[in-house]
Amino acid sequence: MEHADHILVVDDDREIRQMVADYLRKNGLRASEAADGREMRAVLDSSAVDLIVMDLMMPGEDGLTLTRNLRAGKHRAIPVVMLTAREDQTDRIIGLEMGADDYVTKPFAARELLARIKAVIRRTRMLPPNLQVTEAAQMLAFGRWRLDTTARHLLDPEGTVVALSGAEFRLLRVFLDHPNRVLSRDQLLNLTQGRDAELFDRSIDLLVSRLRQRLQDDAREQSYIKTVRSEGYVFSAAVTIVGEDG
Amino acid sequence: MSAPRTRWQWLPRTMASRLYALLAGGLLLAHALSFGLLFYERYEAASSMLMTNLEQDVVVAVNLLDRLPAEEREQWLPMLQRRTFRYSLGEGEAGPALEGATSREMAGTISSALGPRYSTNAVQLSRDPEHFQVHVRLHDGSGVVIDVQPSVMPLAKWLPYVLALQLAVLLLCAWAAVRLATRPLKRLAQAAENVRPDGDGERLPVGGPAEVAQAAGAFNAMQDRIARYMKERLQILASISHDLQTPITRMKLRAESMDEVPDRGKMLDDLDQMQHLVREGIAYARSAHGNTEAPVRVDLNAFLDSLVLDYLDTGRPVSLQGRIDAPLVTRPHALRRVVANLIDNALKYAGSADVEIHDEADAVVIGVGDRGPGIPEAELARVMEPFYRLEASRNRDTGGTGLGLAIAQQLADSIGATVVLRNREGGGLQAEVRVWRG
Repeated sequence: MEHADHILVVDDDREIRQMVADYLRKNGLRASEAADGREMRAVLDSSAVDLIVMDLMMPGEDGLTLTRNLRAGKHRAIPVVMLTAREDQTDRIIGLEMGADDYVTKPFAARELLARIKAVIRRTRMLPPNLQVTEAAQMLAFGRWRLDTTARHLLDPEGTVVALSGAEFRLLRVFLDHPNRVLSRDQLLNLTQGRDAELFDRSIDLLVSRLRQRLQDDAREQSYIKTVRSEGYVFSAAVTIVGEDG
Repeated sequence: MSAPRTRWQWLPRTMASRLYALLAGGLLLAHALSFGLLFYERYEAASSMLMTNLEQDVVVAVNLLDRLPAEEREQWLPMLQRRTFRYSLGEGEAGPALEGATSREMAGTISSALGPRYSTNAVQLSRDPEHFQVHVRLHDGSGVVIDVQPSVMPLAKWLPYVLALQLAVLLLCAWAAVRLATRPLKRLAQAAENVRPDGDGERLPVGGPAEVAQAAGAFNAMQDRIARYMKERLQILASISHDLQTPITRMKLRAESMDEVPDRGKMLDDLDQMQHLVREGIAYARSAHGNTEAPVRVDLNAFLDSLVLDYLDTGRPVSLQGRIDAPLVTRPHALRRVVANLIDNALKYAGSADVEIHDEADAVVIGVGDRGPGIPEAELARVMEPFYRLEASRNRDTGGTGLGLAIAQQLADSIGATVVLRNREGGGLQAEVRVWRG
């Protein structure tokens, strides 16, 4: 417990900013505060930050702009949890596309935010950063399928929408982000942990078989997800990013 | 719905038929009147002409015959003949004295025209039709018979055809006029029925007669106004709830940072409820405001399966039965929200939900059933209204906003689906979403 993760809270609302920071400190984290982009950059330049909590709606430079600039600069590896005002899909989509790693909808409970922060930190530590830049892509193609990462559903070759449950989507997303890498059950369980932490009592094997069914992945051939005995699973198909026109 | 119809029951139902009856009836009556008048006038003219002709003719003919040698008279007769009277030589037929008014008048005219120089005697041959003879004694003692069958000029053969044609033209024009008047009304009614709150409804073409164009313009303007009000309503709701979120966030954070006090949990619950209400309020306003989502082909089996799995993954008992054969074109996010709201409702009141899907001839039916208390028949329709809650058994202790079903209803409407609630056999509530195949 030597190292306490350093969280930077960027929000123009002073009270919210202070209360969030206080709560994080109370829970064993280090927290800094910034009211706008200028203060944020000052903190980033002076100390190492493990994660940024960023408000989407801010006067002047808003959360999206700041995140985008962040991703283009030297601090691109710092994960961002976005605070959005609306549970509107477009907000979420924009936030994730601009490079946020997760989001929390206002009004939020502090413990919920803490859980998201811990999950994101765990996730970024669990696996080295993805070599492919699939995370920001809207449409990923593999085999005969395409995955729409904002609408969170599959498209078959005829363009028919095949829906995925939340857990299935997260598992598939982990596989697509890390193709040809053997992932242990522990890793998979952690990475696919949903917002409501629903996967506690279900084995990852069941989820994998469900996903295979959804992909019509024939068990004998196992063309997409292969079982690696006593190690875990590996996603063995090539993943490509589909452009706007595709 | 229909107004009491006691006094005017005999009237035809539609405005078109009433107008038609009025127009056609009025025109027919006017036409009959003028035709009758014309006929009478013509009759008068013809009969007075008949008298004058008769007078002159008879005088000329009788004097001519009188002066002709007896043996030449025969050959002149055909030339003297007229349509209503003929001359013949001889004594004529016997008969009673004149009785008919016309006969008497005509016979009187003849005898007074001939004057005292000729003796005349008139006999009636028949009353109906009137037929009489006037026997004239010429100066050489021989007799001439004037055989009269008075009749006004007969109707021309083509007259009935012209009359029929006129009637046909009249009825046709009346029909066209009625159509002209009622068609825009019908279109207006149709358009009014299709008015959508988002102003996407059918716009009436502003054309045709001035009044129609004016009405269409007014209608379109009204539609725009409705759309504007709806948009305003949405914006107000959205900005209120948006602005509420910052203070609610502060209150939540403050409550959480408080030391354990007895009321902290209750306060957080209240805040959660406020937050929920704010979100549902926005969702409801949005659900009325059309649907920007593009329709796509959806595998409904996978759609429901994944939805049910999401519930199962979070430990809520939802079952799924049935499969359908072909994908369907619909708006998946809206449909998901509709079905999810129905499932949430079932979970709230019954603790579990049974989802079922099957094909119908022109629709796919998604059923969501529960084994809860159900809803009294009389209130089935009302529970779809926003903020409507049933008394007693299903009250606010269950924590609902009263908007779930209303949102489901409105959203379903916006994607061309319908939601019907009924009580389930064996107890509980059954909701059915009917998605029409495009």
